[in-house]
Amino acid sequence: MNRIAFIQALEKIVGKKYVVQDKAALMLYEADGCIMETHAPDVVIMPTSTEEVAAAIKLAREYDVPVTARGSGTGLSGGSTPVFGGLVITTTRMNRVLELDTRNNRVRVQPGVINFELSQYLMTHGYHFAADPSSQKACSIGGNIAMNSGGPHCVKYGVTGSHVLGLKLVLEDGSIMWTGDGTPDGIGYDLTGVNVGAAGGFGFVSETWLRIMRMPESVRVVLALFPEIRGAAEAVSEVIASGFLPTAMEMMDKWVIKAVNKSYNLGIPDAAKAALIIEVDGVDEGLDKLLAEIVSICEKRGALEIRPAKTPEEQINAWAARKNAFGAMGRVARSYYLVDTVVPRTKLPDVLEQVQRISEKYDLPVANVFHAGDGNLHPLVLYDRTRGDEDERAHKIATEVMELCVSVGGVISGEHGVALEKKNYMPALFNDDDLGAMAALHECFNASKMFNPGKTFPDSCPPGALVARRRRILGDKAGADAVHIGRAAALANGGPARHGHHDQQQALDRVVKQGAWV
Amino acid sequence: MTTLTPKTPAELAEIVQHAHETNAVIVLQGGGTHQSIGNPIAANGREIITINMRGLNRVIEYEPNDMVIGVEAGMTFAELDAIVRPNGQMLPLDVPLPERCTIGGALAVAADGPRRLGYGTLRDLILGAQVVEASGRISKAGGMTVKNVSGYDMMKLYHGSYGTLSIITSANFKLLPRPRAAATLRMGFESLAAAFKLVDALQASQFTPAAVELICDAKHNGVSLTTQIEVAVLTDGLPDAVARHERDIPALAKGLGSTTLTVLHGNQHDTFWAYVADLNQVADLQPDKLALKLACLPSQLGDALALAQKLAAQHALTLTLNARAINGVAYLRARGANANLQAFHTALLAQHPRLVVMGAPEALRGKLAIWGNDVRGRDIMQRIKHEFDPQGLLNPGRFVV
Repeated sequence: MNRIAFIQALEKIVGKKYVVQDKAALMLYEADGCIMETHAPDVVIMPTSTEEVAAAIKLAREYDVPVTARGSGTGLSGGSTPVFGGLVITTTRMNRVLELDTRNNRVRVQPGVINFELSQYLMTHGYHFAADPSSQKACSIGGNIAMNSGGPHCVKYGVTGSHVLGLKLVLEDGSIMWTGDGTPDGIGYDLTGVNVGAAGGFGFVSETWLRIMRMPESVRVVLALFPEIRGAAEAVSEVIASGFLPTAMEMMDKWVIKAVNKSYNLGIPDAAKAALIIEVDGVDEGLDKLLAEIVSICEKRGALEIRPAKTPEEQINAWAARKNAFGAMGRVARSYYLVDTVVPRTKLPDVLEQVQRISEKYDLPVANVFHAGDGNLHPLVLYDRTRGDEDERAHKIATEVMELCVSVGGVISGEHGVALEKKNYMPALFNDDDLGAMAALHECFNASKMFNPGKTFPDSCPPGALVARRRRILGDKAGADAVHIGRAAALANGGPARHGHHDQQQALDRVVKQGAWV
Repeated sequence: MTTLTPKTPAELAEIVQHAHETNAVIVLQGGGTHQSIGNPIAANGREIITINMRGLNRVIEYEPNDMVIGVEAGMTFAELDAIVRPNGQMLPLDVPLPERCTIGGALAVAADGPRRLGYGTLRDLILGAQVVEASGRISKAGGMTVKNVSGYDMMKLYHGSYGTLSIITSANFKLLPRPRAAATLRMGFESLAAAFKLVDALQASQFTPAAVELICDAKHNGVSLTTQIEVAVLTDGLPDAVARHERDIPALAKGLGSTTLTVLHGNQHDTFWAYVADLNQVADLQPDKLALKLACLPSQLGDALALAQKLAAQHALTLTLNARAINGVAYLRARGANANLQAFHTALLAQHPRLVVMGAPEALRGKLAIWGNDVRGRDIMQRIKHEFDPQGLLNPGRFVV
């Protein structure tokens, strides 16, 4: 068995045109939006159907090649980075909406469908898909499922996991199963639920039934500008406590305002150091009164200017700053490191001040644009990766912000995922028993460790080792010895390759020498 | 048979460890409101230890302004409500018998309530959990924040696992503000088909009801139904929005053939929905009743219920039912001779495989396919059961694997 034979067999499955093996082209697949660690795959395929995916997975299993799924590559935690190389299956050509069934509030799609395009399509029928990550113009549904994506409107409607009804999974033996179809209350364990947010570590999602919701009859939006961020944060707490759940509550600080002002000429006054967007929806009746109440809360908290938006045009304007915030950051910094954490909502004002202190300590600006209604922070460390030790300082800020959030009862990721970026922070939240339970679940789907190895679990305790330890505790000695430790452990001596192609190639060479595959 | 009531997770862990070492069987009991569901425990001669979870009933953490709460699994829904209600908050799940039903029990059986249409179930509201595993080790997952993707979503695995994987000792939930206004709109219909015209119209509309319950039941608990078939709509939220629903939905219903209308507010509204939530309770089921849960695609529900009524008539059974009409979930209660109940069940199951027996006359137990005929991914479920509980310590035999 060798690499050439493997690639030839893949060509038979998807056609030569849809197999990428050129070294320069493979570099495009060495990371997603998280570039702290890169590894190129050995080969990429672009299938169009479940059957092609299943055939490729069977083949990969035969050759003992790791498989990593990739959607649009917009992920921010390295979910689609092939840590141990191998086969990347992209869903780019699996981009069809297959069946719309409004009577049952569901739609069946392939994983490569773009979130925004699905929304546009559903809107023409009066429906929407609730998860709306900021990358929605580019990100794919498959990626949303792998990362359990959120978005501004999750305050009211919940994250992706609440809107996935069933998954067509290609399992490690190449078999295909549906976990559900929208018939409520499945019997047995919730195989749909556990697969959402599993970073593609349990199987390949080749189709999905999603829940769709009726578009609201009416929407109101308020853009409120504050002289300082504390007042805005307090307004968030007060609105939430006032007994009505907004659809979205988004916050931006002075850095973000500066960037979007430069890019989009929104005319936000310089005195505004924080901007808050609040959206409410429902039937039309009552929304204007509610809007007036929200305005008065913002005024009480010292808002400088309040722009209520009733018409769709006004609402698009109010949202423009927030929706374009990440793109606009290029105006103020060459690079940014986006940290995704969550804190209890009452801790927001204090945590924001602490983040400012950490920023000053390392002498790099930190911009804040985030989902305030959920307590989901997104500090953006602004730096220039080509200048001095800024890269290192940016990472130190990120680490301290995460430590700070955990210390106040928060968590390490709200919606971007752990995957590669944060796997070594997992011990800050979970001990070996906690991780062991997750590894046990992983083992039930992915005993061969072929799906997306090197993710979610810290390098110090890969899933195979955790499962073996757990089985020993459970008294299943025979089972403990039988655990397939997988490629991660095979590489344990060298550790996974970091930073770049060359190291990655060396790591692969080591595996090749050990006869692990190819 | 021993019953133990641990007071702390550590005590519970010790019991489980002991059972693990002595190869005993553990049966979990909360408020006892859902014990009739499932196959009998397959102890195969092993000692049975029943664990009464009611001893674990403390609040772990509650900061009202964060709108999240962490509680131990043995706390009842009524106890939890008494804690959060003074702060204008709620855990929006109306389980049957909330004075008895525990949080852990509701999680284990994936209990639902009429307001699942507007608020989902505990599957959507749970943020984190702590469990005692079959080894006696304690592990946790999730956290106390309303959004969290740190690690796998183990809560989804434990929810609805009938205590067969690990024992939930505590759980964290998202709370919601209590609505400022609420009303009940009860509309009577002369036929099931007419009632479903309203259900279909509501499903396709931009109204935002929190519950749409279809009820075919006799007088019960002092709440009298005006007709044999009723669609009850719960509207809540902003006062003006509630008023709009009060105005427009009865008008819509009238156009579709409703014959009666009753509007409830305040205490009457609360009493009515407590009655609806209790309709499908199986804790105090009469010994000659068969209680079933049927789930199907929402579009199939009208036909499914018509079939159930037809079969009940054929087999000379009295049938009462309530359904989360837009969700596609129905609870059926049939009464009659055992042989007829069995024939009714067999015929219904043949058409609707997602049919769970929630309670049955003693003589029928063991003769019915308790979990229906629609388990998807049994191989993986068996692998999960074996990985989490290789000895078959926890509720062995009760669930699908």
